[in-house]
Formats: sequence, structure tokens, C-alpha cells
Amino acid sequence: MEKESKEKMKKLPKRKQSFGVYMKRYWQLYALLALPLLYLLVFKYIPMVYIQIAFKKYKLGMSVWEMPLAKNNGMEYFIKAFNNRDFIFALRNTVSLNLLDLIIGFPAPIIFALILNELVFKRFKRVVQTIAYMPHFLSWVIIYGLALQLFAPSTGFINMIIQNMGFEPVPFLNSSSHWVGTYIGLGVWQSFGWNSIVYLAAIAGINPELYEAASVDGAGRFKKMWHVTLPGIKPTIVVLLVMNLGNILGSGFDRPFALQNKLVMDVANVLSTFVYKIGIKGLQFSLTTAVGLFQSIVCVFFLLLANWLARKLGERGIW
Amino acid sequence: MKKKVLSLLLACFMTMSLAACGGDKAVDTTGGQNGGGNAAPVVTADPSEIVDGKFVETRKITVEVYDRGNDGGSDPINNMYTDYIKKGMLEDHNVEVEFVAVPRWTEVEQINNLLAASDAPDICLTYDYATIQSYANMGGVLDLAPYVEGYKEMLPNLWAWLGDTNINWNKDPQTGVIWAIEGKRAVTARINTFVRKDWLDKLGLKEPTTKAEFESMLIAFRDNADLLLGADADKMVPYSVSYDVGWRAATLIESFMDPAISNKDYYINGFDDRKFTEAGTKEAVRLLNKWYNSDLMWDDFALYGSGDTTEDDMMKAGYVGAFTHNWDYPFRNGTDSIAASLKRLVGPDAKYVAIDPFEDSKGTHTKFITSSAGDRKIFFPTTNDEPLASMLYLDWISDPTHIQYLQLGDEGVTHTKIEDGVYASKAATGAAIMNSGNNIDYTITCNGLCLADEESTIKSIAYGYAESDPADVANAYKIAMTDARAEKNVNVGAIEAEEGMGTVLSEKRDIVFDTSVIASPSDFDKVWDDGMKDYLSAGGQDIMDERAEKWNATYGEAVNLP
Repeated sequence: MEKESKEKMKKLPKRKQSFGVYMKRYWQLYALLALPLLYLLVFKYIPMVYIQIAFKKYKLGMSVWEMPLAKNNGMEYFIKAFNNRDFIFALRNTVSLNLLDLIIGFPAPIIFALILNELVFKRFKRVVQTIAYMPHFLSWVIIYGLALQLFAPSTGFINMIIQNMGFEPVPFLNSSSHWVGTYIGLGVWQSFGWNSIVYLAAIAGINPELYEAASVDGAGRFKKMWHVTLPGIKPTIVVLLVMNLGNILGSGFDRPFALQNKLVMDVANVLSTFVYKIGIKGLQFSLTTAVGLFQSIVCVFFLLLANWLARKLGERGIW
Repeated sequence: MKKKVLSLLLACFMTMSLAACGGDKAVDTTGGQNGGGNAAPVVTADPSEIVDGKFVETRKITVEVYDRGNDGGSDPINNMYTDYIKKGMLEDHNVEVEFVAVPRWTEVEQINNLLAASDAPDICLTYDYATIQSYANMGGVLDLAPYVEGYKEMLPNLWAWLGDTNINWNKDPQTGVIWAIEGKRAVTARINTFVRKDWLDKLGLKEPTTKAEFESMLIAFRDNADLLLGADADKMVPYSVSYDVGWRAATLIESFMDPAISNKDYYINGFDDRKFTEAGTKEAVRLLNKWYNSDLMWDDFALYGSGDTTEDDMMKAGYVGAFTHNWDYPFRNGTDSIAASLKRLVGPDAKYVAIDPFEDSKGTHTKFITSSAGDRKIFFPTTNDEPLASMLYLDWISDPTHIQYLQLGDEGVTHTKIEDGVYASKAATGAAIMNSGNNIDYTITCNGLCLADEESTIKSIAYGYAESDPADVANAYKIAMTDARAEKNVNVGAIEAEEGMGTVLSEKRDIVFDTSVIASPSDFDKVWDDGMKDYLSAGGQDIMDERAEKWNATYGEAVNLP
């Protein structure tokens, strides 16, 4: 395939060719592209029409174009959000949980990939890898079910062991500080195996001659890891870090929603669950669209900032 | 340079697409009708369209029905009873009926979405008036006043069954609009406390009649866990509540209220139906907190959400000594009921009986029950373009013979005749299974058993639970109605501060209840007071202030209704 297209390229005349000829030659490629473009258009761009709900007073059964503008030149709901204590708490919780996730959850797959790479027995490596992937395919509802079986204060398996050894049960799920640990821990457990795939792929792409040269120079395993493997996957790390930073205010819905309970809401209510409770259940669409818009803009800001920083530090960034 | 422009462009696109992700909670509303919905004062039927209550051309309406997701239940939109209704409506009024299933435990979210998508059923139900008021404020609800009046002659059953009280219950005193009419509650019993009779017998205890006796009974359960549960002693839960403490300890909380509370005070604090802001509630929760810290309650209650069956399973397995719940809770669901499961899993003697242990300051056992209205509300969304056909549906479903058939089903299949006019429920199979007790999900204008003859109704209630002892049910009913006070209708117009606050405030209330129950006794005051402050500042106080203000405007100095 590749060879063919290269040959075709060579045959192309240097001068401008007409659009018709061009399309005749490449229409199949464009046809392939059409579907993803259509997807983006229908599910990502057309819904943007409804961003204006953030600036309007929502009415049932009325076109968004006809809805009246909200008070204060349409800023009513942004003002309302920032005057809402719950929103401020949700904002704080989102940022702190995501930061913790980043600090603890981001290096985990890198370390795992490095360790895995050092394994000599290929079969053992494959088994470990597969087991590590598995949690990624569990939904958060199921993970919470598992967590209850393990960590519930009176009936959880681990707490029963702790109690049988004569200690007080640990409130993994029902005290705010412990819950944060459980939340982060379960997040790392669920995703480190899956996230290590991309690093393993990057490691596989490193030129083996570099390792040989390092060996000749007398480098041991750790020296090779530090001076060859890590620099080799640095661009990958940076790209993923930039993308993660871009998501500092975003958060999935199902993880916090499935894991939270009434006793830990002071730390567990994040923006996505706030939007669900106030917007979907409480029918305040305008307020929560405003929150969603705010969230998105801050995310983009962080993304641009992180990318700019990466480029400043001499990396390629994501564009 | 070119690259810079490109990256800027890309950034713009990303902003927009991310923003779209955040904003896609909104649903397409184009194509819907305009809101507002205040029709002409009174409408009349066009004689060329309808002859003798029957449409010339077949009309089509959609009706909401709860999907309770029962294990092994029948299809809520297609079973023996829906067939009966569909056939009857087609024959009597030439109206085709289609049912729309809405999950019972997430009904409000579901209706929110259906309304926002202009896709809601023509006839909708919910239990919460504040929700309907929010829909109305957003222009999503039809004013029913012109229809109930204008078509009055064609709706004899509806008027006869619901009467002036329930139809005009929500009529705005200023504007006269009716956003929803109230279904009638045939059985107004609400909450009971149940205890394991066999445990009491084993320990030689009497049924407790005061809080002090109740507490020493719980302590006896805890201290005799080995005797009562043997190897499962560590699973013992003397008293069980769920995360919804306000509901599941309702009669305990009510016992701390002033039995002589005025209508005004009751109304001002009445937005929260868990009586969160009533004077005395804090002391009730303090007592729960004491019990919790004395190992008398279920440790993990707050970790399980609504609809979770863990607690029910513990009751069925026989680990729970006492609990407070709906007045008939252990008897519900035939062979799968708590009563039947307990008998099967633990032994023939094991059973829950209703008790009346929470005395109030006067020594009585005041329980606040709903009135015959103020229960399930019926409203039409503005997308309903068949208001007459929908009204005729409400009339048809309020016909006493139709109610009776839907509640009893066929003889030999879902019930047996005990004596003349007294019917006993029988566990059914397949399409004849009733997903809700007495099919209350279909008899939307009637909640609870109501036969054409009143006397046989009262007798039949006790026999209304397949696999349960009628004497236990009759006793539970009697206790639930002891010293019962029915809610009165305070109608002072819409309270603006309530709009959209329902879910936010009830969430906060649950958090305060839960965290206060599990707090250490020394922290209790702080946890409760901080939580209450947050609740009040988040809108609770505004609602109470506006309620007080509107009460004064309507009733003046009086603290009780005329």
C-alpha cells in the first residue's frame, strides 16, 4: 500500500493539477475520512448551538434561539454559580482530586512499564501485563461493588481481617480523608496497566544499539534505564502530561458518582456530579450549562499553558 | 507563521468542542410548542369531533407508567392490565392508549429529560408538586383549569371520584390555574415500626411502647446476639435505617415534634417532607446518634444508595431486629416479601410485627399522615395535543368498576374470594403479575386499595398481601392510623424560592442526617448546626421566609386553618 502510493506520488506532475483530477485520484481516502468528520460534526459541533443556554433563561419546549436572554446581559448564571458555595466546593474538589490523580496516578504506568521492560521471562511478562490491563474493562459501578465488599466498615473483607486481629476498623469509604485515598488508589489500580501500553510501545521503539553502546560503556541496568529508556520515551511522557493537564478541571462522571456516598460529600462532590445533581435532577439547565462552559474554557487554558511550557522546555508538545 | 495560525485555529476548535462536551446536557428542543400554556378560560368540545363521549376519528395518547424493575415482574407497558385499559379506552372513547415506562427510582430525572426533549407522555405523574411548579415556570405544563371545567359534563367519574377537593387542591388562589390535579389516596396510613416478634418472645420481652423501652429492647438484642443469631452473631443489627434517615426514622422524629403544632408552623417548615427544620428533629437525631455510637444500628447504612437491596436482604436473612418503614413494608411483594422470605429462610416463627414505641410529649403517638390528596399528582405537558382524550382517560380510569378490576384482577388468578365482598390476594404468574400493590401504578387517580364498596375495602386490605398473615397486616394498619393527623391543604400560591431547590436541599438534608448520626457524641452539635446553617443559607431559609410571608398575606393572624 505504502509503496504504491509512493510510486503514485512520483508519477505526479510537479505543476498544479485540477481539483477534479485530484479528487478522482484520492476520493477513496476522503470517503474514509467522511465518517469520522460526520461524527465530529453531529456529536461535537452541532451540539455547540446549545452553549447559548448558558446565557439564556431555559424554557421547556422552546427553540434555543427563542429563549429570552438571562439577566445581567446573559451573565446571570455565571454570577449565580460563583455565588454558590456548592459550586466553589465542587471546583476545589475537582482540582484537588485531579491534582492528586496526576501526582500519584501519572507516574504509576511509567514505572510499571519500566519494570515490565526489565523482565526477562517473556511469558511471565505477558501474563502480568494482561492481569494489569483487566481492571480497565470494569465499570466503576462494579468497582464500587468490589470496594464495598472489601472496605465496608462492618462487612468488608479487609476490615473483618483488621478487626479479627484486634484493631479498630479503618473507615476507607466513610471518612473524608480515607475516602480520598481510596478514590485515588482505586483510580490508579484501574488504569495503570492500560495506560502503560503506550509507554511500552514507546520503549519498543527505542533503538537497541543505544543499549548496546551503553553496555559497552559499562552502564548497568539502572544507568541504562535512566540514560536510555527514559530519554527515549520522554516525548511520549510530555505529550501525555500536556493532555492530562488539559483535563485538570474535567473529570469523568462515573468514577466520582459511583464512589461517592452521603458521608464524604464534602470532598467527593466534583463538578461533573454537581452538574448532574443540579442540572439533570434539579432541572437547572442554564446554570449547569454555564458551569460546563466555564469548565471547558479553563481546560483549554490549561492545555495551552501546558503545551506552551513543554515547547519552552524544548519538547515538541502536541502541536 | 503559518503554523502559529494553524495552532490557534486548532485551539479554537478544541475550545468549542470541549465546551460542547460540557454543554451537551441540553437537549434539542426545537420543534416543540411555545411555552406559557395558558389556554382560554374554558374550552368546549367540538360536537363534530366527538359523539356521546366517543371520538369520530381514533385519537392517540401516551400515558406514563412506573417501571419498578421487580424481579420476575410483568412488562409494565404490555400485560393483562394494560390490555384491559387499551381495549376499554378504544371501545368507550375511540382513543388508542400507549404506555411509556419510566423507571420508578429515577422518575424525576427521566421526566426532566423527556420534557426537555418535548417527548414526555401526554399524561404524566409525580409525587412532588415543587417539581411540577418548576416545569410550569419553564412553560412546560398545561393549565388544567379550562379542561376540568369545560368538559365537566363528560367527566362524571373523575369529578365523582376526586371531587372538588382533589381537583382544585392546587388551584392558584390568585390566577386560578391548575398545574396538576391530585390523585386520591385511598389508604392514608404511612409509617410503622416493626420488630422481630420471635426475638421478643425468646428474650421474654414485651412490645415496647416508649422510647426508653425501645432502647432497652435494642440493647437486649445487641447483648443477646449469640442467643438470637448463633454463628451469625456479628451480623446483628438491632435497629436499621438507610441513608434516608428522615424517612426511615420518621415516626421517631415526629414523636419529638409538638403534638399541638399549629398549621402555620407545620406549613412554614413543610417544604422538606422529612421534617428536617422542625423544632425537635435535632433531638431525635441525637438519640439516633447515641444508638449508633452504642452499636445499636447498622454501621454501613450510609454507603448504600436508593434502590439498593442490601438492607432488605439483611431483613430477609433475619439479622435485623427492628426497623421503621412504610406501614406495610414487610408484607409487600408476595413470595418475595420480607415476611415470606423470613419465614422461608429463618423458620416458621420468625416474623415482624408492627409496634408503636415512640411516644410524644403528651404520651400519645402522633403520626403525620398524608390527607386523601397531597399524594400523587397528575399533569399534562404542553406537548399534549389531545387534552380532551387525556381527560377522558382520567375519567375512564376513575370509574369504580375499572378501579376494582385493575386492583383485584381475575378471580382465581390474582385473588380469591374469602367471603362476600372480601378478597384475598394471590401470587400470580406471567402477564397477570401486578408490579405494584393493587396495581396502583395503573389506577393513577387512586393510590391504595379501593373497592366499589367501602366496607369490603377495609376488610380486604388485611387480605391484600399474598403470603402474609392477614392479622399482622390488620394490626399494622391499626397502629399506623393510631393518633394519626392528616395533612391540611395550605394553598397560598406558588412559592418562588422553591423553584428548582427540591433536589439540592433534599441532598443536603440527607448529608446532615447521615453525618450527624455517625458523628461522635461530642461532635454532634457542631456537625448538625453547621449542616443546618448550610441548608438554610443554600435556600432553605428563603423558602421558610416566603412561606411565612404568604401565609400571613392569605390567612392573616390566624395560626390554624379555618
